[in-house]
Amino acid sequence: MRIIGPDELVFGVDDVAACREFLVDYGLMEKAFSDEGGRFEALDGSAFTIRKRDDASLPAPLPTANMLRQTIWGVEDQATLDAIEAELSKDRAVEKLADGTLTTRDDANFEIAFRITRRVALDLPAELINSPGAKPGRAPNVIGANDEVEARPRTLSHVVYFVPDMDKMANFYVERLGFVVTDKFTNTGPFLRPQANNDHHVLFMIQTPEYMQGLEHVAFHMQGPTELMLAGSRMVQKGYQSFWGPGRHKFGSNWFWYFNSPLGTHIEYDADMDLHDGDWVERETPMTKDAAQMFLFENVEKWVPGGPPPKK
Amino acid sequence: MMATEDLTQAVELTEPLCHLSELVDGRSRGFDPLGEGRDTMFVVRQGERLYGYRNHCPHYDQARMNWKKDEFLNGARDRIMCFAHGALFDIASGECEIGPCLGQRLTSVKLTVRDGQVWISGPYVPGRPRRSS
Ligand code: FES
Repeated sequence: MRIIGPDELVFGVDDVAACREFLVDYGLMEKAFSDEGGRFEALDGSAFTIRKRDDASLPAPLPTANMLRQTIWGVEDQATLDAIEAELSKDRAVEKLADGTLTTRDDANFEIAFRITRRVALDLPAELINSPGAKPGRAPNVIGANDEVEARPRTLSHVVYFVPDMDKMANFYVERLGFVVTDKFTNTGPFLRPQANNDHHVLFMIQTPEYMQGLEHVAFHMQGPTELMLAGSRMVQKGYQSFWGPGRHKFGSNWFWYFNSPLGTHIEYDADMDLHDGDWVERETPMTKDAAQMFLFENVEKWVPGGPPPKK
Repeated sequence: MMATEDLTQAVELTEPLCHLSELVDGRSRGFDPLGEGRDTMFVVRQGERLYGYRNHCPHYDQARMNWKKDEFLNGARDRIMCFAHGALFDIASGECEIGPCLGQRLTSVKLTVRDGQVWISGPYVPGRPRRSS
């Protein structure tokens, strides 16, 4: 099935104004906003929608403290939507909305939806680097260190859930929706990619007790490591709380930097993730500090050797 | 598991955290008593009552809780919240009432007010214990 990845996440939040402040500073573009909620997009149109927790139009909440209400998956075409509808209707109620979006629940009871993707294809430069022995990435006189760049999230990258039964959850996405396992942390959960996306993962899960069920984190792809570092440093300068990073993961190879958010989940910047195809052979390892990251740093205040220039 | 603090690393503080009047009623504020570069504890003020806790969520060892500088409370400001995964804690007891650390509690930091100044009572352990090399 030609599923691409997460198109949009819908939240029922406590503090709409705080979420707006956070999401705009994180780099998403505000497309609509009122006291009741708003919509915030990455460059390709993948998005977060936030509404007040008690908004009656939201899908029911999980029985936990989690604020995620719905994960909307983007698919390539109508044929994929039809195939999903036929498959999932076998054993559950699948509702079809006026715009063709399908809504239902997965086997771990998360609200999910499917629609033809609203992502627009991006045609943007990659991070350009100069490396000895390789053709220059940047032409002579093109500057790499540019404080002025916007550093905007380009697209929704992946979602990670806390789930009470990782096998049940993974089997649903693999057997019913055609996702592929790329790698696995033993007794924790598998990394999954759908058929219409070569990213190492768009979905990962962590096995937890039932009372933890919810969204563990969600990530957006940045241009590259430099934009990730720039965006993250700007967040720290504005007083946001760094949770983990910057660093580089091993499975997926993506650079990461996680921040706490008023959406009650941490939100990650990521960059430079591995791509895989059908030739890839799944790896498995226990989840340890060494397996989770190749290296890890922590932001500290800016500093300069020798201090400021001498007073006249 | 609640992280147990290694008291051999504790430091006796020689400065107050702040003046009581600098704490806004009904709000939280983070503090970095040892100048470690991040807020390792926070105080919630409710009238004349002060509640001090370490900025460590019992869900994950060393996990930071606030979403922004000084923001440790939920939208209604009637619970402490960990903005990593949304756990909600009772302000007075520090007990997690819903969320990933259900039944566990925050590590409290005892406070005293002397001459209008807010002090940590007793020694204070750094936010990130030194690793044995
Ligand atoms: S680290 Fe606090 S709820 Fe997970």
